[in-house]
Amino acid sequence: VLVDETASAYHHRMSIGFEVAAEVAVARPRRAVIDEAWRRIGPGVEVLSGGDGGPLRRTVKRILDPLVLRLRANPQYSAPILPIDMANEVHDVIVGHRDQLRATAQWFETLKKGRRRLRITTGNAQELYFPVCYELAVTRGAPAADAEAVADTALRDVHSDRDRTAGAVLDRYIAAPDTLSALARQLDRSWRDVRPGTTITGAFLSGLTTILAESGDHRARAARQRVWSALVADDTSFNLGARARQNPAEVPWSFVDIGLTSLEPQHCPDLIGKSVGDRPLDRAVVDRVRATLRRALDRDELPDIPLLCAEEVDRACAPWGLIAEDMQATLIAGVEVAVELSPLDETHSARYPLAAQIQARLRKEAYVLHARRCLAAGTPIHPRQQQVVDDLRVFRRPYLSRLWARLHGRDVWQESCADVEDVRALLDGVARSASLDQRQRIKAMLANADGPQMTGQAMSVAR
Amino acid sequence: MVLEVSGAVMSWTIDDQGAPRIDFTDPSRADWLWRVVGESGHVKVATATDTPPGPSQTIDLDGIDVAVDAVAVLRRLALGHWLRAWWPASVLDGIEPLDTALLDAEIAVLTATAQDFFGDDTLDSDVAELVSPHAATLSYHVRSGDPRVIELVRRCVELIDEIGVDHSVYEEDWFDLSELITDAAALDTPVAARQGDYALAAGNGAVGPTGAIATGVGSIAWGGVPAGIFDAAEATLEWSVRADADGGVVVATTVMPGADPSGIAVFVDAGSFTGSATLGPDGRTTVDLGDVNGVRVTDSGAWAHDWSGTSVTVGVPVDETPAIRDRVRSFARSRLTEPGPDAFLAEILAAEADY
Repeated sequence: VLVDETASAYHHRMSIGFEVAAEVAVARPRRAVIDEAWRRIGPGVEVLSGGDGGPLRRTVKRILDPLVLRLRANPQYSAPILPIDMANEVHDVIVGHRDQLRATAQWFETLKKGRRRLRITTGNAQELYFPVCYELAVTRGAPAADAEAVADTALRDVHSDRDRTAGAVLDRYIAAPDTLSALARQLDRSWRDVRPGTTITGAFLSGLTTILAESGDHRARAARQRVWSALVADDTSFNLGARARQNPAEVPWSFVDIGLTSLEPQHCPDLIGKSVGDRPLDRAVVDRVRATLRRALDRDELPDIPLLCAEEVDRACAPWGLIAEDMQATLIAGVEVAVELSPLDETHSARYPLAAQIQARLRKEAYVLHARRCLAAGTPIHPRQQQVVDDLRVFRRPYLSRLWARLHGRDVWQESCADVEDVRALLDGVARSASLDQRQRIKAMLANADGPQMTGQAMSVAR
Repeated sequence: MVLEVSGAVMSWTIDDQGAPRIDFTDPSRADWLWRVVGESGHVKVATATDTPPGPSQTIDLDGIDVAVDAVAVLRRLALGHWLRAWWPASVLDGIEPLDTALLDAEIAVLTATAQDFFGDDTLDSDVAELVSPHAATLSYHVRSGDPRVIELVRRCVELIDEIGVDHSVYEEDWFDLSELITDAAALDTPVAARQGDYALAAGNGAVGPTGAIATGVGSIAWGGVPAGIFDAAEATLEWSVRADADGGVVVATTVMPGADPSGIAVFVDAGSFTGSATLGPDGRTTVDLGDVNGVRVTDSGAWAHDWSGTSVTVGVPVDETPAIRDRVRSFARSRLTEPGPDAFLAEILAAEADY
């Protein structure tokens, strides 16, 4: 690892030199299209641009993608490689917004000055202010005489901790007389209402083989979508989740081993207070609501707190702590992937192709830790790291904690997991962020012996 | 040396100026690829990796050329991260340590320059985490009045201004540094120059003065211990079997000034006797040996034992040859003797201190 000439993790080799693109393009890399369109805007957007004149990465992520190209509404603009006609559209949309983008740049200058004036050093200015600046540009045009006052208001707004505001509303609600007793009655009733049926699970699990196969061609994808729709409609995922409370032996995995609960059988969660363990399905109902509020920061309106609490009681009682069938089925697919992941094990081979693909990436990522002298031969290089390295060995647990948190968010906001390719991307993306989190902890354990304690914090941040 | 960019890991051989190997972890996230291989190259790679037949396939990408200039800054970043981990600082060999704060500051500034290559999701993206703890040390360096240091720190302050500090405990330090760097007068009153010399912390030679049954020396494999703790020279650990230590083996390592080796494992293999222990804060420990049945070696057993094949491992056992370490030392020496265009300021200052 010291001098890595024979790094086994490397497969793609490339040669040296320059290439002159002579052929007529039929497709173009998305980011190259955006870069070119950006340069076409000309002067006036320097603060949103990098040293080479292209847009900053955050300009793309926080302004162009969500607000100018509006990828949610126009998913066709989001492919990494764009067909040429789509590339031209993207180009035109960006250039067509040149006035708003110039005004955005001016607002960013104004907000940055305000940031200095108010001595704010928290948060990434680009990340936080770019969307605000674009909004100001659209609603007010370029900064006018009142710019300074407008900027200060906008800054106070951004930094005023909306989660605290929402948290306060929640605190007031649960402090009101009768709130907790009513919720407790509901919790008791809902928990008893959930009973497993008698379906056999074999068909469902063998269906997952199709879901977790190679990505395949168009026909394979269509077939996979049909299987997924059938699995979602199947009541097996409900029954498996319900059995974990009564007959855990009838569930193919141990909830404790996969880290969803700290006790078996799964207990009814508390309404409030310190829960028995720190696993996702141990958490008290009110804490789950609090997590929802924290994640709701990017949303325009605050959810209705009483409604959210009542819903969360039912959700906490639902099998897997999730209401929608597609969420439950996705979590099971995630469990099947998770038990195959072992980032530190070189010889490990996974049963499902999708899991094997994720495992291969985890291995490469773990290799970087070796190359950086953060790990030695798959073990801690410093005794301080023991705990985090142990966590990495049971990767299924942080992986499933994070997957559960994502599904919980989708369940709350009624976003769907009906599209199988989206589900596969989710299973993959969760592995990426869980791995990054674990690796950053391993690195941090080495770097700052006397620095701030990051461990607990990293554990609780389940994006 | 490696660099983790969005969707890929790039790697270079440390003392070779060639093009990187690019290993994709997720080609669809490698939205920077056209900057390196051109637009048509990017499209080709995307097509080839669109439907992967298996997790470890090698794709022959003949006809795609890497633009070395485009990756020069990435190579330099990979080098910076490598220096943090592997720079063979040694009192015994006379290889100056690199200043961590200045090195991290320069890596942070470089990472910001190359931000097109980093999403929020790579191990090497987080510059706030990298540089936040260093404000106090950087203030100290700024007072030295070295214009190169001031320029670097100024850029770093601007960067932090934009990205925010990683943790609120560092906020005050950054306010102070920010004010210091904008206050030209304060910079005109240099304090004492950078400390160029330091004393050996734990000595060798203190191991077995009298009554040693057997003694020996050994080397520490760098890959098995954390960076910055032990002197990176060869033969820096001494062991001795002492009659007055109940057959225990006293192990002493050479620790870098200010470093804390506590808790690092030591394993002694003396053929039929083995034992393990952990180092104390002074880099020393006594290892009790026993046979396969766990029976402790006796005084007479120790006298009778043939200690000639004894080996001592500090840290995790890893496969690393002295030749590799030598190659890295000569690489480091050549960088100190003649800092190249890719030299980091921390290296240049180390070279000057050396002189």
